Amino acid sequence: MQRQSLVEVRVLYFAKSRDLAGTAEEIIKVPDRVTSQLLLEIITDRHIELKTIQQNLILAVNQDYISEESGEIQLSTGDEIAVIPPLSGG
Amino acid sequence: MTSDQVLIKLSSSVLSLDEATQFTTLPECGAVSVFIGITRDNCNGKTVLHLEYEAYEAMAVKEIQKICDHMLKTWDVRRIAVFHRLGYVPITEASVVIAVSSPHRKASLEAVEYCIDTLKATVPIWKKELYKEGDWIWKTNKECSWSKDAAS
Repeated sequence: MQRQSLVEVRVLYFAKSRDLAGTAEEIIKVPDRVTSQLLLEIITDRHIELKTIQQNLILAVNQDYISEESGEIQLSTGDEIAVIPPLSGG
Repeated sequence: MTSDQVLIKLSSSVLSLDEATQFTTLPECGAVSVFIGITRDNCNGKTVLHLEYEAYEAMAVKEIQKICDHMLKTWDVRRIAVFHRLGYVPITEASVVIAVSSPHRKASLEAVEYCIDTLKATVPIWKKELYKEGDWIWKTNKECSWSKDAAS
């Protein structure tokens, strides 16, 4: 079994997720191989208020949506993760 | 963002319908179909004062480009302009302008409907609605697949 290492990623929060997290962006350390579920869990553990809308959040990595179907994702230092609450453009 | 066939703009100033139709108008196109989304003064019986939009801009442009790529593949449309307003938007001003040209009208009429429906479902833009009573909410599009809430 390969050993997991940690990477530093930039996390961006938008709209309601930014209000609840109380920050627009931060740098955090995360495992370099994660599922979308685990990554969201790590992020909402840092900002407990986000748990209230966790079911309504999805993530993007380097400006592409990820989901459970994406399986395990390989992350690198410098990757950009976005916390995306339900959309309301248009 | 612009290519030969697609013009995408996210802007905090008033959107120009003229710019959208001028970009899309071509000698070989008999139709320019346009959708304009307007800030409405009421929602569920409450009086809306204004809207505030924000976007994950780099990703929003990429997602709009994906929509345009799909339109160009699916219909015989020649040019597409998609403009979205950001920041403070007063009542009656346009929050979104879409123009699509095609040799014959059916293609651009169908494509423009696809464009606004998909934009609401996939493009990372958010709208805060502020009411006369002093309260406000982040809205949710019913088209957004991962919202578990009832549509607001």
